[in-house]
Amino acid sequence: MDLDRIRNFSIIAHVDHGKSTLADRLLEDTGTVEKRNMKDQLLDMLDIERERGMTIKSVPVRMNYKAKDGREYILNLIDTPGHVDFSYEVSRSLAACEGAVLVVDATQGVEAQTVANSYLAVDQDLELVPVLNKIDLPSAHPEEVKKELLEIIGIDASDAAEISAKTGQGVPEVLERIVKDIPAPFGDEKAPLQALIFDSVYDNYKGVICYVRVVNGTLAAGKTVHFMATGQDYQLDEVGVFKPEMVAVEQLGPGEVGYIAASIKTIDEAHVGDTITDAARHAAAPLPGYRKVKPVVFCGYYPVERENINQLREALEKLQINDSAISFEPENSVALGFGFRCGFLGLLHMEISKERLDREFGVDLVATAPNVVYQILLTNGELMEAHRPSDFPDAGRIQEIREPYIKLSIFMPKEFVGTVMQLCQDKRGTYDGMDYLTPERVRLTYDMPLAEFILDFNDKLKSCTRGYASLDYDHIGFKPGNLVKVDMLIQDEPVDAFSFICHADQAYHRGFAVVAKLKELIPRQLFEVPIQAAVGKKVIVRMNIKAVRKDVLAKCYGGDITRKRKLLEKQKEGKKRMKEIGHVAIPQEAFLAFMDVTKAEDK
Amino acid sequence: MNNPFEPPSGRLALYVHIPFCERKCNYCAFESAVPAAGETDAYLDALGRELDLWQRRIGRPLLETCYFGGGTPTVLSAAQWRRLARIVEEHFYFADDAEVTAEANPNSLNADQLRVWRDWRVTRVSVGVQSFDDAELHALGRLHNACQARDAISASLASGFAVSLDLMFALPGQTFAGWAASLHEAVRSGAGHISLYQLSIEKGTPWETLDQTKLPDGYEMYRWAQWYLPRKGFGQYEIANFAKPGLCSRHNLNYWREGEYLGAGPAAAGYLGGWRWKNAGSLSAYIKRVNAGTFAFASGERLDAEASAREASVLALRTAAGIGRKEFAGRYGTAAFDYVADRLRQFPGDLYELTESGVRLTKKGMRVANIIWAELV
Repeated sequence: MDLDRIRNFSIIAHVDHGKSTLADRLLEDTGTVEKRNMKDQLLDMLDIERERGMTIKSVPVRMNYKAKDGREYILNLIDTPGHVDFSYEVSRSLAACEGAVLVVDATQGVEAQTVANSYLAVDQDLELVPVLNKIDLPSAHPEEVKKELLEIIGIDASDAAEISAKTGQGVPEVLERIVKDIPAPFGDEKAPLQALIFDSVYDNYKGVICYVRVVNGTLAAGKTVHFMATGQDYQLDEVGVFKPEMVAVEQLGPGEVGYIAASIKTIDEAHVGDTITDAARHAAAPLPGYRKVKPVVFCGYYPVERENINQLREALEKLQINDSAISFEPENSVALGFGFRCGFLGLLHMEISKERLDREFGVDLVATAPNVVYQILLTNGELMEAHRPSDFPDAGRIQEIREPYIKLSIFMPKEFVGTVMQLCQDKRGTYDGMDYLTPERVRLTYDMPLAEFILDFNDKLKSCTRGYASLDYDHIGFKPGNLVKVDMLIQDEPVDAFSFICHADQAYHRGFAVVAKLKELIPRQLFEVPIQAAVGKKVIVRMNIKAVRKDVLAKCYGGDITRKRKLLEKQKEGKKRMKEIGHVAIPQEAFLAFMDVTKAEDK
Repeated sequence: MNNPFEPPSGRLALYVHIPFCERKCNYCAFESAVPAAGETDAYLDALGRELDLWQRRIGRPLLETCYFGGGTPTVLSAAQWRRLARIVEEHFYFADDAEVTAEANPNSLNADQLRVWRDWRVTRVSVGVQSFDDAELHALGRLHNACQARDAISASLASGFAVSLDLMFALPGQTFAGWAASLHEAVRSGAGHISLYQLSIEKGTPWETLDQTKLPDGYEMYRWAQWYLPRKGFGQYEIANFAKPGLCSRHNLNYWREGEYLGAGPAAAGYLGGWRWKNAGSLSAYIKRVNAGTFAFASGERLDAEASAREASVLALRTAAGIGRKEFAGRYGTAAFDYVADRLRQFPGDLYELTESGVRLTKKGMRVANIIWAELV
C-alpha cells in the first residue's frame, strides 16, 4: 500500500454540532454506503448513542475516494467518543490519526468541548481541518465563528469549508480538504511491528476484536504478536478493515487502520492504548501515551429484586466485555442486600452503563448516589484510599483527607457570569480565571472538588443558565480538604448506609437534612428511637421518633381467622422488607430516600 | 389427612350468618345487603339445605354455643325466626347450658322477636349500639339513635337475656369526651358484656376515601377503656372484650382457643378437623350452589404444624389468659412455645408477661398487639 494514498482522520466537535451527520455524508459521498442503506448516524452502534445523539463506542471506517487530482485515496475515518468522560479513549483514537476535521456549529460557535477536543488533537500534533456546519440555517454567523476559532483556539479558519451536513452542501469540499490538508502517514514496513490498539469490542464468535492502527511493520493472519502492556502473546486469526462492516484482508501495513482477531477471551487483555508488536522481534519501545484508565466516579448497583443478583453479575460481566473501563466488585448494603460497587470514568459513563444494563440486559437495578474516591493520610504516614464512608478509619487516625479535584471550564453568554460564579462558589469551587472570548461570551475556569461536581452540578448549571452554558473538565488530582465523616446513629447504633463525607462547614446542614428525612421515613417502633448525626464522638443533630401508639382492633368477624392471619402475614411481609438495626425496623424506602437526600440536600 | 367432615371430636360451636341489613353502614365491609322481595325466605331454604348436607357428613352434633350474626339478624321477622330456630333444631342437639347469642340492631329489634328468642333457647343478645352519641351514629350511617339503643338494651334485659353491646372508637370527629360518655352509658345500661372495636377503613365502603390521617388516635381511647371498665366490674378477658364475672362470651373464646366451629350461610367461616374454610360471599352464589346439592365453599386451607402453632399463638395472645405453657407445648411441642417466647423477647418487657405457667400480653401489649402478632404469625 502506498502510504501517500492513505489519510487517517477523526472528526471532533462539541456535542450536537453535527459530527455524526457529517460522517454519514462522507460515507454516502464516497459511495462506501449506498444511500438506500443509510440510516442516521450509521457509525454509532448503540441504540443509546442514536437516541442521545452522541458517540460512545467509536467505529472506524475505510472509504475509497477518487480525488480531483485523479488519484484514488483510502480515507480512514476514526470516530471518537464525544464526551469528556472518555477523553483518554479520544486521545488514543486521535493518536491513530494524522489529522482531524473540527466541526463547529456556525449558529452556536465555539463551545467547551470544541476547545477541549481541539486541544487534545493539538496535543497529538494533528493537522486540524476546520469546518463550519449548519451554514444553511438563517441564524448561522460564520464570520464571527471563524473569529472565535482564531481567538480561542488559534486556528486560522478564514478559508474554512462552510457546509451543511444535513443537506450535503459543501461536503465534497471537506473530502478534498482531507486529502490536501491532512498529511499522509509515514512508517517503515521493514521496521519491527508497532500497532496501536485504539479501541476494542467483544464478538461472540471471534472473541475480542482490537481496532488497530499500524505504525511500523505489518500485521498478517497467522503471525504471533506480543501485547506490550500486558505481556501476552497471541496468534492472529484474522486481520481486516472496516467497510464499515468487517472484511478480512491479507495484511495491514504501515499507516493502515483495521482490526485484528486473535481469540482473545476478555477485553481486559486488550487495553486501549497498548502497542502490538511482533512476538519474534519486539519493537524497541511501545508507542507513547499508554496509560491504564482509572475509574473516578463510583456508585453501587443493586438488583431491585434481591434474587436477581446473579443476573446483574452476568450483565455487568457482559458489559465489561465491551467496556473495560467499568470496574466492579461485590458489595453488601444493609438496605439493598447484595450488589456491586462499580467504578466509572465519569458521570455520563455511569448513566450510560445503567441504561445499557437496563436496556440490553433487562436488569432492573437501583443505583446509589455516585461518590468519589478519597485519599486518606493516616497519622502513621500511610496513605489509603476510601471508596465509601465505611472505609474511613477512626477520626483519631486521620491526618488529612484528600479529595479529587477537577479543573472546570464553563462557556456562557456574559449575562450568566454572576449566577455561574455564585454556583461555583457554592460548590466549593476556587476561582481560576475568566476571559471574554467575544464581547458576548465568557469562559470561566474553576477548580472544584469532583464530589461537588457529580452531586448535581450539571443540572444546576443548566437551570441557572437556561441551557446556554457548556462545560468541560479535566481531572487535576487530589487536594487536601477540610472534610469530615458524618455518622448517623439510630438508637445509638451507627448505620453505615446513612453516613457520608462532606465539608466540615456543611456537616450540620446536611446532617440535619438526613436526620429529618429519616425521622419522617422510619416508622414508629414500640419504643422511642433517637436518631443522631455525629462527627467523631460529637453529636451535632438529634431527633426522636416517638413510640408507636396506633393499632387497629378490627372485628375478627364470625371467626374468619384466615383473613385475620393473612392481614397479619401481610404486615409481617412489610416488616420483612425492612432492615433491622438493633431492634429498629427501617424500611427500604428510607435507604432509597437517603440517596435523594444526598442528591438534593442544599435547597 | 383428616377428613374435614369427620364428626367433631369435642364441643362444637355453630355460627349462622344472616346476610341482610336495612341499609349498609358507611364503614361496613361485611357480606350483607338490603333483601329483595322473597330473598329472606330463599335464604332460609338454602340454609336448611346446607345444614342437611352437613348432617349427611357429620350427623347431628352437640352444640356448646351458637351465634347468629350478620348483617342484621333482626331483619328477619318473628315468624322467620321461628322457622330459623326450627331449622337449626332439626340439625343439632344443644348442651344443657348452651350459650346461644343473637345479634340485634336497636332500630329493628321488636318484642315479637324477643319473645321467639326467649321461647326458644337464645340466652344472649348482642346489641349493635356502636355509640351513644346521635351525631356519631348519624355519621356512621346507623338507622338508630341513642335513645333506641337504650330501649333495645332495656327490653332485652327485661326479657331475661344476658346483654352484650358493641361500641366503636376512633370515629371521624369523635372526641375523647364523647368516647368516655359512650362508655359511661354502656356501663350504666345494665349490659354485662361490652365489645370495643376501633374503626378500620375498608376498601369498597363509602368511607374508603376518608382521610385516615384525620381520624382521632384510638390509642388513648382504648387505653382509657382498659383503665375504666375494670373499675366498673368489667374485666378484660380478650383484646376487644370486657365482661362482668361469668358473662364472657364462650362462643368467642372458642375461636381463640382453636375450638371447632361450623359456619353456615354466605361468607361464613368454619373450622373442623384442622380445616378452615369460608363460604361463598354472595347470597345468590350461595343459594345456587346449595340448591344444586353442593357445599358453597369459596376457599379452604389446612395449615401445617408450624403454621398452626403460629396461628394458635396469635389467637391465644388475644385472650387475657394468654398461652398456657403446658397446654401449648403439649399440643405443638416445647420448641414451639420457646419460639414464641423468644420472638416476644425482642419487644420491650412491659408488653408481655412470661412466667412459669405461660405467656400473655399486658394491657400495654394489647394496645399494640397487631405489631406483636405480626412477628409471630
